[in-house]
Amino acid sequence: MNFPKIFDVIVIGGGHAGTEAALASARAGCTTLLLSHNIETLGQMSCNPSIGGIGKGHLVKEVDALGGAMAAATDEGGIQFRILNSSKGPAVRATRAQADRLLYKQAIRSRLENQENLWLFQQAVDDLLVEKDRVTGVATQLGLRFNAKAVVLTTGTFLSGLIHVGQANYPAGRAGDAPAISLAHRLRELKLPVGRLKTGTPPRIDGRTINYAVMQEQHGDTPLPVFSFMGNAAQHPKQLPCWITETSSRTHDIIRSGLDRSPLFTGVIEGVGPRYCPSIEDKITRFADKDSHQIFLEPEGLTTHEVYPNGISTSLPFDVQLDLVHSIKGLEDAHILRPGYAIEYDYFNPIGLKSSLESKAIDALFFAGQINGTTGYEEAAAQGLLAGLNAALQVKEKDAWCPRRDQAYLGVLVDDLITSGVTEPYRMFTSRAEYRLQLREDNADLRLTELGRKLGVVDDLRWQAFEDKREAIALEEQRLRQTWVNPRMLPNEDAMRVLGKPIEHEYSLYELLRRPDVNYASLMTLPGAGAPVADLAVSEQIEIQSKYQGYIERQREEIERAQQYESLELPDEMNYLDVPGLSNEVQQKLNQFKPQTIAQAARISGITPAAISLLLVHLKRGFRSNTISQSEA
Amino acid sequence: MSLAIAQGILGKAPTTRHAHYTDFLDGNGQPIDQGILLFYKAPYSYTGEDVVELQGHGGVAVMQLMLQRCLALGAKLAEPGEFTRRAYLNDKLDLAQAEGVADLIDATTTQAARSAIRSLNGEFSSVVENLVSQLINLRMLVEAMLDFPEEDVDQIDLDKRNKQLATIRDSVRVTLETAKQGSLLREGAYVALVGQPNVGKSSLLNRLSGEQVALVSDIPGTTRDVIRKEIQIDGVPLHIMDTAGLRESSDSIEMMGIALTHETLQKADLILLLKDASRADSTEDLEILRQLPKSIPRLLVLNKIDLCLGLLPNPADTESIAVSAKSGQGIDKLRARLLELVGWSNQENGIFMARERHLIALTDAESKLAQAAAVINYPELFAEELRLAQASLNSITGEFTADDLLGEIFSRFCIGK
Repeated sequence: MNFPKIFDVIVIGGGHAGTEAALASARAGCTTLLLSHNIETLGQMSCNPSIGGIGKGHLVKEVDALGGAMAAATDEGGIQFRILNSSKGPAVRATRAQADRLLYKQAIRSRLENQENLWLFQQAVDDLLVEKDRVTGVATQLGLRFNAKAVVLTTGTFLSGLIHVGQANYPAGRAGDAPAISLAHRLRELKLPVGRLKTGTPPRIDGRTINYAVMQEQHGDTPLPVFSFMGNAAQHPKQLPCWITETSSRTHDIIRSGLDRSPLFTGVIEGVGPRYCPSIEDKITRFADKDSHQIFLEPEGLTTHEVYPNGISTSLPFDVQLDLVHSIKGLEDAHILRPGYAIEYDYFNPIGLKSSLESKAIDALFFAGQINGTTGYEEAAAQGLLAGLNAALQVKEKDAWCPRRDQAYLGVLVDDLITSGVTEPYRMFTSRAEYRLQLREDNADLRLTELGRKLGVVDDLRWQAFEDKREAIALEEQRLRQTWVNPRMLPNEDAMRVLGKPIEHEYSLYELLRRPDVNYASLMTLPGAGAPVADLAVSEQIEIQSKYQGYIERQREEIERAQQYESLELPDEMNYLDVPGLSNEVQQKLNQFKPQTIAQAARISGITPAAISLLLVHLKRGFRSNTISQSEA
Repeated sequence: MSLAIAQGILGKAPTTRHAHYTDFLDGNGQPIDQGILLFYKAPYSYTGEDVVELQGHGGVAVMQLMLQRCLALGAKLAEPGEFTRRAYLNDKLDLAQAEGVADLIDATTTQAARSAIRSLNGEFSSVVENLVSQLINLRMLVEAMLDFPEEDVDQIDLDKRNKQLATIRDSVRVTLETAKQGSLLREGAYVALVGQPNVGKSSLLNRLSGEQVALVSDIPGTTRDVIRKEIQIDGVPLHIMDTAGLRESSDSIEMMGIALTHETLQKADLILLLKDASRADSTEDLEILRQLPKSIPRLLVLNKIDLCLGLLPNPADTESIAVSAKSGQGIDKLRARLLELVGWSNQENGIFMARERHLIALTDAESKLAQAAAVINYPELFAEELRLAQASLNSITGEFTADDLLGEIFSRFCIGK
């Protein structure tokens, strides 16, 4: 039957991408349906129980700045919060939290259930309805047909998912869930560029059988960090420590002896796994000279004894897993609650996507999350938000929002995906962002919230809080610029204490703050400096902005130079075989990737600066002959 | 295409890399000429594409017929530099090598030709690549420290950062010096010749170049325009700019000449101040010295020593050389000192044909590395300067992406908990 209600946007999948997509689309005012094979697992953390980290925390803050749920849900479910890299500079500083799986899931579920315009429905999707290269809806296992103007696919690792434990394997979406086979077949029929990736998880351990006394304890930070711009530390539940132990040379011997039964090393697994999140068998093989690897024991929640041993992801046979766990200090008597496993799954090479995350081949079909070859909850959530928002914008016949590389990690993420494609699971790192100094966690709201408001995904409450903060920053900055410190009025001991040396002439407080070793709090203790602002987020922002001004301006020049190529569009129908002078390899690559702009073309690997100049010449010629033929007609 | 042309001319399919001694056939199968036909199969050719090479007897009419025959078979005339451009586009040559080809063809002196062939052989590229790989190694350590603080990576402490940076800065400095020598061979140096009217500037120029280029007369102020003449000393091209004198004048044409002189002086790499040794110092000499830009090296040349019987005037704190443009006395010494002053170190070995573009890139990298040293205590700012330094070097040899850098990190460190 045809479902009676017609939706603007349908989101398939209820993981981190799907939930953010559905919420964003609904916030933007579109009637949205979230279809999941199981409503109980909405917002499930399938892998390690942690959110954020370097590069990833940046994405979470951006999602938050655009009204997304991940940061707020982490504030409600987080059982340990830390700021990483706190001494290395504001741009690489990042928030990370361990989360209670149940509390996190509840926080997401309650947001979904209370979101206006959003409907939930439990049914596995088997088919996409496509008419003339445009998606018009989906069909489910029961044969229900749902019609919609746009569809967002966020099926994670479920497409033809195959779980491996030793030489045994079976089809699954993740441990305990059925895979999506029919949909995978259907998508393969649509001739989208499909590939195979692999990821894995460690065996989970019963905390009651762990000897914590021999391990190193790791606590969260004090004061307690907060993830969401709208959150506060009072929302956090009880906090727990993590524990650190390590593998021994005996562990490595056990693993080596089991390699002949490893699906990774016997060629059973075809999918490519991530280099930065290798299985333990991979680690000891590639780095054979290291006789020990660290393991972080992360609590799964407040109401469970289950522990996630981060660092021993494996698909070795269960008997080897058992021996290897028991060879680790403090885990001699550990009981394994669930075996570790590797999972292979289909992904769609994102070179088939526009920067709006819409498919180039099928109109109104958007892709987000692990289906695009990324890993990580944060990368998934960021894409989900963008895909859901752009689906909604399309329904409303508005231009898509395609964040730029200098604007957000979200822009770096999408641009990397569509211009470089994916050969291993893609994860965010700060070194991927050339404009890293301006893409900071601390200014994610200043970069994106106003934009989000215009696009319709930021609610009144957040908007008001943001405007207050922005105004407070402007006011305090103005005050610092207008407050002068006179050398004759400044006692020498104060100058030495705060500035390290006496001042030679009059300076404004703002000028003094720009000095590398001067901080706001001590500057405010100078006689006549006036009262500091109470809000630390405000003073921190002013301090960072003042110190980084020179760098940001220099990057702005770099961005402007790059910008001219960003705005030079390459027509979809362009056939690169017609561009004289390009080598065959370059022609084929361009025809395969179909970049939307010259700048995107330049970022495709193997496209040389020389090829770009030829493209520019060709564009100029083409443009001239077009205008001539138009004026003749 | 090349294969079809070779077949048409040979009358059968050519064997790869075989010297066919054969008739060159026209459209009717009649011979046009007799010679050698070579067929190179892609990618084993200069351009990386199929190439056919014909060696004939030459002669205008035969050449014309051969050309027509090739065009009829589908060939098109190559644009200037097209073979090298294709070689570059097909990755047979990198940009610095391709430029080496152009320099080799343009080389006017043996020294220039030798350094161009070094660039073509990839020596310059490999030196720059070596710099880049040193820089990549440091960046890899710094980025790993920033992106993977909780992983088992070597933490590159301040001391190590300082040491590695210092080594790289030294290498860049040495490369820049070498490249400057190459640039000197290619671009030459600008030498301005100034002095009062009638001190013999034009005669000295004639003597240095060995040719008659400027009007030599006894009327002061004859040389109203800047006259340029290129001379070579030991293979280094020197662009000599002979200027109008720097004296007060009411003659409007001469005043224009004086204005031009000032402009010329600002651009010079070296100023030769010419004085008449047979005459006493005048206020005009002092005036000239006062007006010269302080930053540019200068050499006082005392001319007409053949007319000077007594002691030479020796003004304080300016280096001087005494010559006679008329007899040639002191000219060799002047030439040698001239080369030294424009920065020629006369170490021919290991010089690359560097272009202005390369010098700018190297200089830019050098200044970014100096900035890096200044912010070495602030890891993310340090990383930013290193990124920009590498971007400058990459403009010489080619691109390097963030993903390449991550690849370096993952191959070196065991990343991933």
